[in-house]
Amino acid sequence: MIRFENVGLRYGLGPEVLRDVDFHLVRGSFHFLTGPSGAGKTSLLRLLLMSLRPSRGLIHLFGQNCADLPSPERADLRRRIGIVFQDFRLLDHLTTWENVALPLRVFGKSEASYSEDVTDLLKWVGLGDRMTAYPEVLSGGEKQRAAIARAVIGKPELLLADEPTGNVDPNMANRLLRLFIELNRLGTSVIIATHDFQLMDQCDAPRMVLNEGHLEVR
Amino acid sequence: MKDILKLDKIKGYWAETVADSPWVAVIRALVRREARAMSAPIVQPASVAGRALTVVIAIMCFLACLTSGAVYMVNQSANDWFADIASEVTVQVIPVDAAEFEKKVTLVSLFLAKQAGIVKVSPLSSEESGELLKPWLGDSNALSALPVPRLIAVEIDRSSLPDMSVVRRALESNFKGVTLDDHRRWQSELRTVTRSMVLGGFAVLVLVGAATVASIVSATKSAMASNREIIEVLHFVGARERFIAHEFEKHFLSIGVRAGLVGALGATLMFLLLPVVMRFLSSGGLAAAEFRQLVGTAVLDWPGYILFGAVVVVVASLCMLTSRYGVYRILKSHD
Ligand SMILES: Nc1ncnc2c1ncn2[C@@H]1O[C@H](COP(=O)(O)OP(=O)(O)OP(=O)(O)O)[C@@H](O)[C@H]1O
Ligand SMILES: [Mg+2]
Repeated sequence: MIRFENVGLRYGLGPEVLRDVDFHLVRGSFHFLTGPSGAGKTSLLRLLLMSLRPSRGLIHLFGQNCADLPSPERADLRRRIGIVFQDFRLLDHLTTWENVALPLRVFGKSEASYSEDVTDLLKWVGLGDRMTAYPEVLSGGEKQRAAIARAVIGKPELLLADEPTGNVDPNMANRLLRLFIELNRLGTSVIIATHDFQLMDQCDAPRMVLNEGHLEVR
Repeated sequence: MKDILKLDKIKGYWAETVADSPWVAVIRALVRREARAMSAPIVQPASVAGRALTVVIAIMCFLACLTSGAVYMVNQSANDWFADIASEVTVQVIPVDAAEFEKKVTLVSLFLAKQAGIVKVSPLSSEESGELLKPWLGDSNALSALPVPRLIAVEIDRSSLPDMSVVRRALESNFKGVTLDDHRRWQSELRTVTRSMVLGGFAVLVLVGAATVASIVSATKSAMASNREIIEVLHFVGARERFIAHEFEKHFLSIGVRAGLVGALGATLMFLLLPVVMRFLSSGGLAAAEFRQLVGTAVLDWPGYILFGAVVVVVASLCMLTSRYGVYRILKSHD
């Protein structure tokens, strides 16, 4: 489903952040992505989201070469990917509920068709009583959960999560991990970028380790 | 049957195109408040940058309307004068022989009436001619004793202007002491003056237009910058460029239309009040009277107000296009 061939990435004229990255992920896989801070985890996820183009190498997503896709098709591929940003990226003028519903709205669905799903999901991640609150007044952990809910509401085929448990207590982290595992069981491929070893130990999943630009799958 | 199918297809295409246009969305929202969706609009409805943009657009639209209205008005009254002046000539009969004078005036009048292209001949009576000289000679009995030349006002056919030089030559060969004045010199001088005024007006209009464009573009740009986060998030959750651009176009078009209408309304009020002001001014001496002459009655006719509508459309479109450009520029850095 995802194939990287000799991918290299550099920002501007800087050094290569990623070097000769080669891997292949099958549908329905579950991976952790780890490595020291600054190793390039976020950069790798951005490549997967097609928000960056590799400086060299090939990326195949859902069987298509990303390099020569026209922009509308890239947008359509993105709809099959859910993403949780390290810095959440919730829209401040929308309520938690509206933020979570945003992808479905963008897909052109009617509000009636998804309103129950959104409410249920928000209850599941423990934001049942924060639905009408604006991101400004949410705690870090609450924002994180809202961001996760937004990423999974569209039932993506691929879920990318950048430090999804960085701001929550172990209990909630566990609960969120179970959400990801549940999604994975339903067929979604999951990549979770984290340096939380406690979290990784909870689940017997392969780890992609980034070090000095190189990727190693263990 | 085939034709009907084809027609349906065209209709469908048309409906799609129209439904997709941001103008339709905005007009719909203005005309009847659409059943509001539960959710807030995707594009932030009121930000500080948005409010600043509204004020800038309203002011610039007001100025653009004032200028275009004024230029239109001067142009219009200049055209009116030309039409009036061109359709009137004056014939002057000098009293050479006092006894035959009345008869001569009648004869000249009859001669003129026979010429092609002349609609109306009205000889002024001696009292009327005297009346014209009053400002120079004062109100005295001297007039009746003086041999005052008589004037004949001739109205010519506006649709097919006759060659006045032919008429003049015919007059001068048939009668002695009769001159024809077609105001040509006065006309051409006037034309130069008004033409340069209208040209000056256009220059001002172009300047105001350029300032309007520049300030609206820059205000829209800064309003767009504050929306960068929204554009990026929409992009990451899989919105197509067209969808994002459309959301922003709708929003900025509606700002443009509303602010533009406020500006145009202000200008309309100004022009409605102008005749009142002019009447007040015209009681204030010669300079005011001259000014009044220049702008006519200072009443803007309805095509002038339509001009305001066009200004609003241009201003709002500008706003919309700039926002679209802004969206694509921000998206480009992510693709
Ligand atoms: N937009 C950018 N322009 C230039 N350099 C960048 C940019 N984004 C990231 N980098 C650099 O690329 C390298 C990898 O960054 P990245 O954010 O991918 O690391 P990370 O593994 O996600 O780190 P963390 O665990 O702290 O989130 C870092 O050295 C960073 O400075
Ligand atoms: Mg990171």
